[in-house]
Amino acid sequence: MKKHLPALVAGFGAGVLQVVPVVKSFSCLIIMPLAGIFALVLYQKSNKIISPISTQKAVVTGLMTGVFAALFGSFFEILITFITKSNDLVYVVNDLYEFIDKFPVEETVKTQVIQLTENVVNSIKTTGFSLLYSFSVVVNNLIINPIFGTIGALIGLKFINSKIQQNS
Amino acid sequence: MKIKLVLFFLVLLWVGGIFIRFFIPEINGLFYLLPFLEKTYSTVCHQQPAKLISINGHKTLVCARCTGIYLGALLSSAGLLFLKLQNKLNIKLLIFASVPLAGDVLLYSLGIYSYSKTVALVTGLLLGSAGFLYIHEGIMDLLEEKNKKDKN
Repeated sequence: MKKHLPALVAGFGAGVLQVVPVVKSFSCLIIMPLAGIFALVLYQKSNKIISPISTQKAVVTGLMTGVFAALFGSFFEILITFITKSNDLVYVVNDLYEFIDKFPVEETVKTQVIQLTENVVNSIKTTGFSLLYSFSVVVNNLIINPIFGTIGALIGLKFINSKIQQNS
Repeated sequence: MKIKLVLFFLVLLWVGGIFIRFFIPEINGLFYLLPFLEKTYSTVCHQQPAKLISINGHKTLVCARCTGIYLGALLSSAGLLFLKLQNKLNIKLLIFASVPLAGDVLLYSLGIYSYSKTVALVTGLLLGSAGFLYIHEGIMDLLEEKNKKDKN
C-alpha cells in the first residue's frame, strides 16, 4: 500500500475537489491531470528519486490516482446525495424534460427516457439513493478519472524527467 | 501502426460522444445514451450552456475550449497515422502551445475582452493537438520499456 501512497493522497484530493460545486465548475479538464502530475511529484519527492522515472511507473501512478479519485469522488457524491436528498440531476430535471420534449425523436423514446429519469429523481427525492444513478456515477468516474490521471502523469513525467536531466 | 489506429479510434469515439446530439435525429436509439453521456462529460467540463457550440439548435456536450482540445487531439492522432515523430519531444512545445489558451482564459477572466467561442476553440485546438503528441510519445515509451523488459 505504501508504494501507492502518493496516488492515494492525490486521488483523495481530486475526489474531494470533484464534488465541491464552485471548484467543480472551474475544473474543465484540469483536476484529474493535475492530480496525476501531483502524485508523480509526490512519488519523486518521497522516494528522493534523482534518476529519470520510468514511463511504466508514471502510468501506474496516474492510473491509481484516477482509481482512488473515482472511489473517493463517487463515495462523496453518493453520500452528499443521500444526506441532502438532492443533486445536480434534481436541480436540472425540469430543464431536461423541456429539452427532451423539444428534441426531434420518436414519442416512445421520449416517454421511456422521461420515465427512467423520473424514477431516478423520485428515488433521490424520497430516499436519497438511486441504484441506477449511483451505478452511473461509479462507472463514469472509474472510466474517466484513470484515463485523465494517466494523461496527467504522462505529461508530468516529461516535466519531471527534463528537470532531473537538467540537474544531473 | 496498430496502437496508433487504436488510439485514433478511441479519440474518435470520445469526440463522437461530444457531438451525439447532432446524430440523435438520424439515429434515435442514441437518445438513451444521452443522460449517461451528459454525466460522463460533466466530469471533464463545466458544460455552461452559453459556452457550448451550437449548430442548427444542436449543442455539443462540452464547452468550445474542451471541444477544441479534443478535436486537436483527434487531428494529431489522425496525423500520426501517416507521420512519424523523428525526435523526442521537448517540454517547451507543450508550454508554448498552452500559452494562447492560458492567455485567453486570463484575459477574458479579467474582463479585458468577452468570451469568444472561436478563440476558445482555436486555443483549445492548439493545446489539444500538441498535448496528444506527448500522450502518444508516453504510450510509445511505455511499449518500448515493456519490449526491453520482455527481451531481458
